[in-house]
Formats: sequence, structure tokens, C-alpha cells
Amino acid sequence: MIKLTFIEPSGTSRQIDAALGTSIMQAATAAGVQGIAAECGGACMCATCHCLVVEAPAAGLPEMTETERDVLEFTSEEMQETSRLTCQIAVAEDLAGTVFKVVGR
Amino acid sequence: MTDLTTCPHSADWSEFRPFEHDGMTEFFARKRAEEPVFFDEGTGYWIVTRRDDVRAIFADPDRFSASNVHDPLTPFPPELVEYLKQEGFRRDKTQANCDRPKHTRIRQVAQSFLNIRQFKTREPQIREMVAAAVDKLRGRGRVDLVDDFAYELPARVLFLLLGVPDIDARRIKTWADSRFNMISGDADFEAKMEAGRQVMDFWNYCGAIIADRQKNPGDDYPSHLLAAHAKDPESISLDEIQNLTFGVLLAGHETTTNAIGNTMHMLLQDRDEWNRLVADPSLAPGYVEEGLRAGPPVVIWRRRAVEEVTIGGVTLPEGAPIMMSLASANRDEDHFACPHAFEGTRSNARDHVSFGYGIHFCMGAPLAKLELKLVLELLSQAFPNMTLVPDSDPDWQRTILVRGPGRLLVDLNE
Repeated sequence: MIKLTFIEPSGTSRQIDAALGTSIMQAATAAGVQGIAAECGGACMCATCHCLVVEAPAAGLPEMTETERDVLEFTSEEMQETSRLTCQIAVAEDLAGTVFKVVGR
Repeated sequence: MTDLTTCPHSADWSEFRPFEHDGMTEFFARKRAEEPVFFDEGTGYWIVTRRDDVRAIFADPDRFSASNVHDPLTPFPPELVEYLKQEGFRRDKTQANCDRPKHTRIRQVAQSFLNIRQFKTREPQIREMVAAAVDKLRGRGRVDLVDDFAYELPARVLFLLLGVPDIDARRIKTWADSRFNMISGDADFEAKMEAGRQVMDFWNYCGAIIADRQKNPGDDYPSHLLAAHAKDPESISLDEIQNLTFGVLLAGHETTTNAIGNTMHMLLQDRDEWNRLVADPSLAPGYVEEGLRAGPPVVIWRRRAVEEVTIGGVTLPEGAPIMMSLASANRDEDHFACPHAFEGTRSNARDHVSFGYGIHFCMGAPLAKLELKLVLELLSQAFPNMTLVPDSDPDWQRTILVRGPGRLLVDLNE
């Protein structure tokens, strides 16, 4: 388990325990983080797990694939430099302490 | 607002009648309350009806294998098996019926083309196609929205992605219908053999497209797959490319035809909702989602338990074949308030499972939604006074897996 923080659309900050090996999206939805619809369930199709990385871990996040970039560029919420689809990032030890801002409603 | 109690054709099913449409909604509403997971003797499948259970199965691909997704419900006649073998039909599990890790490898390649970027880039062309199909209806008075509109349009859109701009859409629909009849219809021997011949014809057609793209690459799906193969032959084989091209037909337009038919049927049954859309076509995306929820084009999807599993409190043995009723999950009263009402402004309509959930989520979903949105926008603006012809039989398709009206007679009232 590692600790991650999510700033929900309402502005509420939530710290959650995330199990190693799951995706960030799965950890967030399991903990009931608001605003992450995860409509497609992690298939990199719907962009409803879109978050901004507010505080990145020291080692950085894993690189995004071209498909993740394509989906983000064409989502209704404009892609920003810190945008990520949380279904595409696996929870790992070195991500502890990362802070995400949820883009959804 | 349409309600169960006003359904004119409700039929009381004492047990699951997988080929029938009228009575399905009422049957599943009762089952969700009384016996949400049950074994159906007729099909030999376990039927799962609640949304939470359906999503749990979709979300657990290692314990619920997708390998039976395209299995025929009744065995192919030996003559058909022999015929397909002789003709060189090399259909293999590549996508919807493929498990990890092979699924992950193939999906990565396929999804790097079949994604929202490609679909959005083609939006102007798709809009033109929808507008042309709408224009063809003008001045005709009474039309069949399925045969005269929804039947060909999705095929045209899809073949744009295959790099085939000018197609005989009727021929392609015959291919697609044959494939579905072979898998999930209750066709007789001769119909199955004819379906087999049509399927073989399409398999060869896909082979010819691929052979052509090897010589003349373009900006299309087969060319993209071939480029990935050239770069790394381990990422995707030529046979897999032919399977993926073939699979687009099965996945891509029978379903969209049905989605158009189902959504228009529900919209026109409910004058208030139709008038709301006519007055404000920007509401179309909401109607698209609600149409997909209340009238999913795929009503049943299958899985097989890899080990003994407990779902909805019921223990299923290892190897148990499972049918998830997507139609039932989308009307689960634990998630959707007044689930039988058709409401374009429903806030959580997007929570339907009509495209699946998880690693197998439909890659064409953004395309289908784009196409449906354009159809609703353009049809409602072109024919605001359109009405269903009273008492016309929708002639619901007799297949277990997919569902849509075979006929949708309307008066355009221009």
C-alpha cells in the first residue's frame, strides 16, 4: 500500500491507500474518490479518469503511451501539460505521495 | 415517458426466452428482484442480470474468460465446419473472444488506430455521409428507417476506416447478418450453410483488401496494422491482421444499425422527448447515451468461469458458461432511478454497460456515439414532424446476442 492524494472537483482533498499493482484509477474508485467515472473500466477509451498531476513523485511518472496521448488530446476537457489518464498508471512504491487533481465533474 | 405498464406487447415469460423481444424487460425486472443469477436449462448458461454483478465479471478477465464470446450457440453442422476448413477460413481468437496476454498485445496495436483521434479526424466526412443518407429520405412520405436509412449508413462509415470509400453496402450487410445468424440465430441447416458461404466470401474480401494495402498503403486501419507488422512482426501477424479486419464488420455496423433503430423507436414513441430534441439538438449526446442504456444493441454478452466463482451470492462451477444480460443491467433499479423511463436528461445514463467494461471495452464506442449523435441531430432537424406508423410491427431480430427492429416504418410529415 502507498498513500496518494486526490483533490476532488469540489476542492476536497482526500488521501487514500492504494494497493500495489492495481491502477491509480482502480485505487481511486475503490476508495470512492469523487469525479472519476471510469466509464470504460480501464481500457483507455473514455478519458473519464482524467486527472492533473499536482505534485509528481521524485522519480517522475511512467511515460504515457501514444494511445493515452491521443485520447487525452481529443477529450472534451482540454488536455494540459500535467494531464494523465489514471487508468494507465500502475500503483508502484515510487509513486507514494503523488497528488492528483480530478478533472471530471 | 414510456413505462412498462404502457407497453402494448408485454408477454409474460415464465422462463428465459432468449430469441424473443417482447416480454424481455418485464422478465428481467422480475429476475433481478427474485433470482438475479440463475441457470437456464434451455441454453445451458448461467444468466447474470444485475449491473454490479455484470461489471464485476467484466472487471475480472482472469477469472472470467472471454473465449466463448463468439462460439455458436448451437454447433455448426459438420458440413459447414468442413466447408470452412476446405476454403481456408483461418478465423482465430484475436479480440473480443481473446484472453490475456494475447489480447493485450493485439489490442495495443489495434487501439493505436481505432481511437478517438482517428474518429474525430474523420468527423467531417462522417457528417457528410449522414447528411447524404438523410437527404435520400426527403420527399418520400413513408419510409422504413431501418431499411432505407440505418441499414447502410454504418457500413459506409466503417468502410471509410478500412480505406474503402465506395462500397456495395448491401453486400456488406449480407455478410454481417450472415455472421450473426451463424453464431447466435436459430437458423436452419440451409440458412447456416448459406451464412457460411457469405462469411467465406467476406473473409476472402478482407484478404484481398490486405493484399492490396501491402502494395498500396493508405491512411486506413489495414494499412496501419500492416505498418505495425512491418516494424515488429512479433506485435501482430498477417493472419491476425486479416482477423482484425474481418472483426470490424462483426463489431461495427450491425450493432450501430440496431442502436439507431432502437433509439429512434424509443424516441418516436415518446413525443415529449422527441419534441425536446427537435427544439434543442444540442441535447443529442444525452439521447445517445439514454438510447444505448434503454435499448442496447447488444443484449447479451458471454463469459466462461475459469475457476469456481461466486457471483451475486451464487456459486458457479469451474467452466460455467455465463450470459450477462446487458439489457437487464442497464435497467437495474439499484443504479438507475425509474429505469424503464426513457429520459434524455438522465444524469447517469452513461453508466450503462452497452459497450462492456474493462479491458475488452468496445474500441468502436467513440465512433458509434459520434455517428449516433449526428444521426439524431440531422434526422430531428430534417423531419421534426416525423411519426411512427401506428401498429406497425418492428419485427424484432431473432438472435440471442444482438437486438434491434428489423423494420421501423415512419411518416416523415414534411
